[in-house]
Amino acid sequence: MLELLQNSVEALNNSHPIIQFCAYLSLLFILIIILLLVYLKNLRDRLRIKGRIEATYKKKYESDLIEYLYAGDDKNISLHQQKIIDYFKKNAENRLKRKLIIATFLKLKNEISGETSDAIQDLYYQTGLINSATSKLKSKKWDAVARAIRELTLFEIKEAHDEIILLINHPKKEVRNEIQKYLVKLFRFDGLKFLDVLENPLSEWDQIQLLEILNKFNNLEVPDMNKWLRSNNNSVLSFTLKLAKIYNQFGVKDEIIALFNHPNIDIRIEAINVVAHLGIYEAVAILKEDYFTRSLEEQIAFFKMMEEMAMPDDIPFIREHIEHDNFFIRISVMKTMNLITVDDDNTFKVNTAATDFTIDKDLTIAS
Amino acid sequence: MMLDLPEQLINFFDYIFFGFAIAAILSYIILAIISAFETVNYMKKNSFVNYTEILSSSISPSISIIAPAYNESLNIVENVRSLLSNHYVNYDVIIINDGSKDDTLEKLITAYDLVKVDYLINNQVATKPLRKGVFKSTNPAFEKLIVVDKENGGKADALNLGLNISTNKYVACIDVDCLLLEDSLQKMIKPFLEATNHKVIAAGGVIRIANSCIIKDGKLLDINFPKNRIVRGQILEYLRAFLLGRMAWSKLNGLLVISGAFGLFDKKIALEVGGYDTKTVGEDMEIIVRMRRHMEEKKVKYRVAYIPDPLCWTEAPDNYKIFISQRNRWTRGTIETLKKHKKIGFNPKYNSLGILSYPYWFLFERLAPILEVLGLFYFTLLIVTNNVVWDYAILFLIVAYLFTVLFSIITIIAEELTYHQYTKRGMGIQLIKTAFTEPILNHPFILYAAIKGNFDYYFNKSIKWGEMTRKGMSNN
Repeated sequence: MLELLQNSVEALNNSHPIIQFCAYLSLLFILIIILLLVYLKNLRDRLRIKGRIEATYKKKYESDLIEYLYAGDDKNISLHQQKIIDYFKKNAENRLKRKLIIATFLKLKNEISGETSDAIQDLYYQTGLINSATSKLKSKKWDAVARAIRELTLFEIKEAHDEIILLINHPKKEVRNEIQKYLVKLFRFDGLKFLDVLENPLSEWDQIQLLEILNKFNNLEVPDMNKWLRSNNNSVLSFTLKLAKIYNQFGVKDEIIALFNHPNIDIRIEAINVVAHLGIYEAVAILKEDYFTRSLEEQIAFFKMMEEMAMPDDIPFIREHIEHDNFFIRISVMKTMNLITVDDDNTFKVNTAATDFTIDKDLTIAS
Repeated sequence: MMLDLPEQLINFFDYIFFGFAIAAILSYIILAIISAFETVNYMKKNSFVNYTEILSSSISPSISIIAPAYNESLNIVENVRSLLSNHYVNYDVIIINDGSKDDTLEKLITAYDLVKVDYLINNQVATKPLRKGVFKSTNPAFEKLIVVDKENGGKADALNLGLNISTNKYVACIDVDCLLLEDSLQKMIKPFLEATNHKVIAAGGVIRIANSCIIKDGKLLDINFPKNRIVRGQILEYLRAFLLGRMAWSKLNGLLVISGAFGLFDKKIALEVGGYDTKTVGEDMEIIVRMRRHMEEKKVKYRVAYIPDPLCWTEAPDNYKIFISQRNRWTRGTIETLKKHKKIGFNPKYNSLGILSYPYWFLFERLAPILEVLGLFYFTLLIVTNNVVWDYAILFLIVAYLFTVLFSIITIIAEELTYHQYTKRGMGIQLIKTAFTEPILNHPFILYAAIKGNFDYYFNKSIKWGEMTRKGMSNN
């Protein structure tokens, strides 16, 4: 056997370099395959065991937490409660266990409210978990920072504000996004002050998230938006326009109208949509005046606006566009004409009855 | 018999095939490394995303799901129910009955209380005319559903009519028999909404194979590993492509294809380029290449995004006849697309599209099967002329086989470390067994289908889509 091996090695050493290369490559591949198979087996086993461990500890922590909540009086921490705190503290030294403890606290905190929820928040302090989160704010790893901010948000730790706000222009957008959510979730509209200093763009995704967070709170006093409507950051403008629309901010109409001449087309269109929503009639005349110099998208937005805001005086202007090349403008014209003439003199009906009237230039009426 | 083949000729071919094999191996290794980094990055970033916030938002952008249906009577009611059960708030479902000869439309009318309605269609892309018209439901529970009955024109034509019908900003073009996971739309829309300094023109997700999985009421209840060897091979093949291939291409902004089974598009751009090409059988690849070409020519910064999460489950062919027919079509689609857009190939004007993606597809997708068959012919010639250096030939085959197995095992590990979908006991062993058998059981048929695809493309132009018989995932 050994002799055969020796002969093979000798034959290989005497063979063409390509053959030698292929032989060594095959051996390397075989070795890697064996190692990877062992790793794969180990990995699958580990994942299975990890799942079991997680389930066991989760159950244990849940019951410990409930025991803690019902083990003392309102004022003092009982001996038994202290034991549970120490147990959590000790377990929190392990990364996986700390993750499970936090998840358990948050799960219960989200399910209940009032004193019990406050008690969980107190426990977050007493177990020292808060220290671990705040110390991570200084981490060089962006994901550790973002995770810490998320944790502080979920436990509603307002005291971390000063430290967190320093990171508002963090180079990683995930961190910035967590900070923005922290500020808005905990400080509502006051939290939006970060818009004053925001240097990076606020993506549409981030905007929707922030608006959804604000949407969960009622009776909020809406802050002054004028400053944000003059921002050099287009995403701040876009976000403020959405705020103005959702919270019906008629007070900022002049700033919104000023945006009709903004260099960015998307901002101009958004501004038209907002004035349409707010029903600012003076905007109609302004837009009509320079209608022909505006882009097609703006013209479409204008006619969409006219569906809600056109007055009988506007009929001649609207009628001019009844055979417009653009589908959406034609549709808007038809809708608008129908609306404003239906109770008036039925001009539209008369017009459509004319033999030369066509609407289906490049559209099909499916019926 | 020993014929004297010129030594230079032998050397030439030896180096060509050896060089090509090494280049292919290296390219796979590089792509796998990039994928690994990108996947870790994605998983890290994605752990901070809360998809529920976008779900309920009334200002989340509107999406139309466009699903062409042709003779889908068997499963259409279930399939539509699945599409209507998505958790996204702002979407509609447009089913295009593409001239079905069976009772697909009648079943939909009955199941969803449909009535014919007047509907203004913006004919931005020319399509075959309507047959019975547009239908909507009288039941408010199905208000998101629009069914359109048209004359048969093929999948691309049906999708084009969907583009005309849709009034939303984004369109998700899907196969009607696909099972979309409930959170698939918010995951797909995310890259479009996150982009601030570039435009996302399209996004694709991972397609997983649903054969043998338990699906009920349009929901995936249990993931199983099928017994059928052809399907098993395809599971591994899909995992390789999606986990170790497309992720890297996405990072390099070089994705040339988004699976026709599920892709999300910026409708404006899709219409600007004229919609789907009805003359190709690879319309899913062709529209992406055309959209990218359009953006490059306009000099607008853009990306084609890729979501590595399993978002869509589909039924894979479970017999060689249909499997070959499907791969034959994929080959013809690739040839047609590369030929149509040959201008961008090796052209630095088109940036990574021209100097990276196109050449890669041309070499390792378009030419690979041809070179492989040439290699087999050459090997046969060497045997016949008694010029084979057997040590080299055998070792070459062993290296190729071992690399394929190695790559598949790395894929299985990647799957375990990321989505860990095949969790049941015994599935790991089955996946490993498949890694060893797939190169022998599936690859020859893939090669045959690719060669037949080439032959059909040049000599049998009348062949179009080929056959795909569905058994229906709900019946599994």
